[in-house]
Amino acid sequence: QQQQEEEFTEELLMKPLPDRKVLAHFHFQSEAPLAADESSFARHHHLFPKSISQLVQKYHIKAMELSFTQGRWNYERWGGFDSISSHNAKPPGVELWAVFDVPLHQVDASWKNLTHSLSGLFCASINFLESSTSYSDPEWAFQSALGSLRYGTLPREAVCTENLTPWLKLLPCRDKAGLSSLMDRPSIYKSFYHSQQLHLTMSTDPSDGSRSGIILEQTLTVVLQPNDQKAGMSHLSKTKIQPSWSLSSIFGRKISGRCVLAKLSNVYLHAERSLVNQLENLQKNTVKFAANDTGLEDFRRNAGFELSVTPERVHAELEKSSSILYEYPIKEYTDTEQFDLGLTWVHPIVWSSPHAPLYASRFLMGSGNERGAIAISLKSTEMTQGLVAAYNVEERCKLQVNVLQIVPWYVKVYYHTLQLLVDERPQALTDFVEIMRVSPSEDKVSPGVMELVLQFPCEMKSAVLSIEFDKGFLHIDEYPPDANQGFDIPSAIISFPDFHAGLQFSDKSQSKSPLLSKLQERSPVLSYTEVLLVPLTTPDFSMPYNVITITCTVFALYFGSLLNVLRRRVGEEERLLKNKDANKTVFFRRELAKLSAKLRGRPLELTLPCPSSSSSSSSFVSPKLILRVLLVAGIAVVWQYYSQ
Amino acid sequence: MGLGVIKKVAVMILLIMFLSYPVAYSSSSSETTMHTNNWAVLVCTSRFWFNYRHMANTLSLYRTVKRLGIPDERIILMLADDMACNARNKYPAQVFNNENHRLNLYGDNVEVDYRGYEVTVENFLRVLTGRHETSVPRSKRLLSDEGSHILLYMTGHGGDEFLKFQDSEELQSHDLADAVKQMKEKRRFKELLIMVDTCQASTLFSQLHSPGVLAIGSSKKGENSYSHHLDSDVGVSVVDRFTFYTLAFFERLNMYDNASLSSLFNSYNPNLLMSTAYYRMDLYQCHLEEVPVTNFFGSVMKTIHTDSAYRSRSNKKIGAAKTKMSPDESISDSDSDEEDQFNNLTAEKYLQYSVGQLWSVILSNANTFESIDSLVCYGLLLMLPLLIFSTWLSKYDWGNIP
Repeated sequence: QQQQEEEFTEELLMKPLPDRKVLAHFHFQSEAPLAADESSFARHHHLFPKSISQLVQKYHIKAMELSFTQGRWNYERWGGFDSISSHNAKPPGVELWAVFDVPLHQVDASWKNLTHSLSGLFCASINFLESSTSYSDPEWAFQSALGSLRYGTLPREAVCTENLTPWLKLLPCRDKAGLSSLMDRPSIYKSFYHSQQLHLTMSTDPSDGSRSGIILEQTLTVVLQPNDQKAGMSHLSKTKIQPSWSLSSIFGRKISGRCVLAKLSNVYLHAERSLVNQLENLQKNTVKFAANDTGLEDFRRNAGFELSVTPERVHAELEKSSSILYEYPIKEYTDTEQFDLGLTWVHPIVWSSPHAPLYASRFLMGSGNERGAIAISLKSTEMTQGLVAAYNVEERCKLQVNVLQIVPWYVKVYYHTLQLLVDERPQALTDFVEIMRVSPSEDKVSPGVMELVLQFPCEMKSAVLSIEFDKGFLHIDEYPPDANQGFDIPSAIISFPDFHAGLQFSDKSQSKSPLLSKLQERSPVLSYTEVLLVPLTTPDFSMPYNVITITCTVFALYFGSLLNVLRRRVGEEERLLKNKDANKTVFFRRELAKLSAKLRGRPLELTLPCPSSSSSSSSFVSPKLILRVLLVAGIAVVWQYYSQ
Repeated sequence: MGLGVIKKVAVMILLIMFLSYPVAYSSSSSETTMHTNNWAVLVCTSRFWFNYRHMANTLSLYRTVKRLGIPDERIILMLADDMACNARNKYPAQVFNNENHRLNLYGDNVEVDYRGYEVTVENFLRVLTGRHETSVPRSKRLLSDEGSHILLYMTGHGGDEFLKFQDSEELQSHDLADAVKQMKEKRRFKELLIMVDTCQASTLFSQLHSPGVLAIGSSKKGENSYSHHLDSDVGVSVVDRFTFYTLAFFERLNMYDNASLSSLFNSYNPNLLMSTAYYRMDLYQCHLEEVPVTNFFGSVMKTIHTDSAYRSRSNKKIGAAKTKMSPDESISDSDSDEEDQFNNLTAEKYLQYSVGQLWSVILSNANTFESIDSLVCYGLLLMLPLLIFSTWLSKYDWGNIP
């Protein structure tokens, strides 16, 4: 049996975006073969991080993905139908899913221990996902081939340098050499979108289906704004020119050389399909380039922008007017001769990124502190309009949409109120919902999970799913310290199983590059909606409130009793008793005489003791005392109510 | 008869040996154990953006202890909020404690062990006592032993004998004293330095009784701790005075300097601090002039040079414990006496007024409804201590809003 070596590759993809920003996608991949004896813990690694291999071995992880995201991916402007928007566009905060290779009754214990280990590894509060109210087991949102899947998110988790530091310590060269030395912390965290990700999978032996190794992908995706150089605008056209940028202007640093432990160290520049279309149109309109029509030679120099470094290789897709990828190996550069890729725009160009079939967004409806509704809006993009034209001849076109929505337990969702509007008209659910799986939330035990498989006609313009909820209450010691900020509902996941994002390059020798392999991988299109913020009713936690309440209660009790005692009129009560005494008949004269004598304190005329008389006297006293206590309590309640 | 006497004597000898053995062992272990490692527990207990300076305080100490040699795996850093990547922060991934922005405290290499909602009183006491759940990873545990010197630094909002955690919990001085006592009994430290930067900071360690503990606070009872200056760019105060001058002291040092704790403690000027930096050393046996600051803030350990191999020396130097009372402490005692007299006067006044009122009521209603009146009067009498206690409690609560 051939002993496989450990491998490490580092790659950086730069991509101009249509809204004048730049996407930087760092991709580091480590591979390690499994030990022949899986039970041995004495394995030494040269490149692979030992903590990750111990994690995989201890908790029997089949696949895992952990992401720390700051900001929100803009699906309208940055695209929704490519590999990066499906794999690296993540909801804000922490997202973790894991598939375990353990029996079913041990999955939750493995998940709990995994969250604690990851919180120690990555300086985050991932251990909060151990509670059964924080994670769930969706079935269809991700690939159904996986087994025991657990999924959890922490939308409010902060993402900062302390999460990037241990992430960089998993790399063989840390941030000292290679592409990771570009990561200037203030530049990275000034970005509009920042997502660092750790993806673990098992590689399989092609001969038999057995597990042969661990593949660790570490990616960092940032969307940065280049500095607007207004002095460089030489054109007075209406359309503003795109800002030019270089690695040193974006990150403040240049690449001084590769990580010497890396098998492959490349920088790519990606021009997407719509941009290439515009470039070709611009090139045809330019007279001086009309004579040169020599195929690939045109792609190294074009009329739209200028590159400061000539690419070593240009990858083009199989189809005509496809996207273009410029490749720059880093193996030749040193401290004295540094690599600084720069892009200088010559002409203003407007293009758009490819969109997902439907643009998904989510919002809250309703007002007040009691109830509301969650609405998921799906709008068609120009891609579905293209689908209508393509499918119109053959058969009726159907668009499958998978929806996964997880709601915390204190937001009480009523699933019977689920409504569907297609093209702004109410529809019956059974016409569009193919499969539905609902797991209602249980107080302090589990969140509410709803999974839908919907089939929409391709010519649909818009669809809205809405569902009503009540805002619940938490116990007073369950509120976080900043409860007035509101509570987060994690992002819903909208996936399109019939559509697969991925480029198709013509060169066959690109399987050596993990980033290009991932870009060419056919993966389902996936979108995340917004994180919702629900303001729950919170009690007043402030200290002056407690002081005022306690003091006013004591004062109300004291002064209420005192006033009641002071307002008593003895003479009037005696007069009332006399009137009652006169009105009574002769038959009851003897009993009333006894009662009057008892109340006035006079000695009894009869010499014999009378127990019924004394019991009657005590029963007369007791209701009055109870009435007085109730009166004082009422005054205290009214006082407290008005004092609030 | 002779055999019985011999047995009795043998039993007595065994009993004496048994009783004296653990006493000798326990008394000598803390003094003869070598100082083998250093740990630091740095706690920032404040949430929300306007408490930026408390995080800058903690990161100042974090930078100092890392620069002087304590590695990240021996630092437990607890930050209750995220200031560096806060949306309000104009300088993302950067925290400053000076308006000249010369020093970025956050740096490129920060490891936070407890963050955000994890910073609670329960987790703090679990870190000190080491009583964690089994699944808590090692990087979140204080794995100290009987040869450890521990620096415990706390900053946030506090008051008389308490420190607030995230505006929702309080750490009482008794809780801290019990945790330190438990640490001592479990041999989790050799020496412990507690440093507190908050209002009325010295009251937080007033209940400590464990030997080997040195404590310093930024202000005394009745005093506030003030921030140093406001940064107009960041928009909030960026550092407290006590920590500002502590960092000013340490920035002049490096790993091999021989500055003593005495020079650090004497460098705090009450006029500059606007409070009195008060320290307790009655539980600490060594002289502060002989203890270098790197005993707690760094990890430079003494190298013992032996002339011959495999021969251990036993140089036991037991310093006499100082029990003399400092002038500051006597002033504090007199303040406490005056406050007690004021409380007594208030209580007497309330009692006299209520008794007079009650007596007049009793006199006016003595002839009629005597039993009912007695019940009401007894209720009023029972209510009096409740009222006095509530008044005293409200006075206590209002006065301690820092």
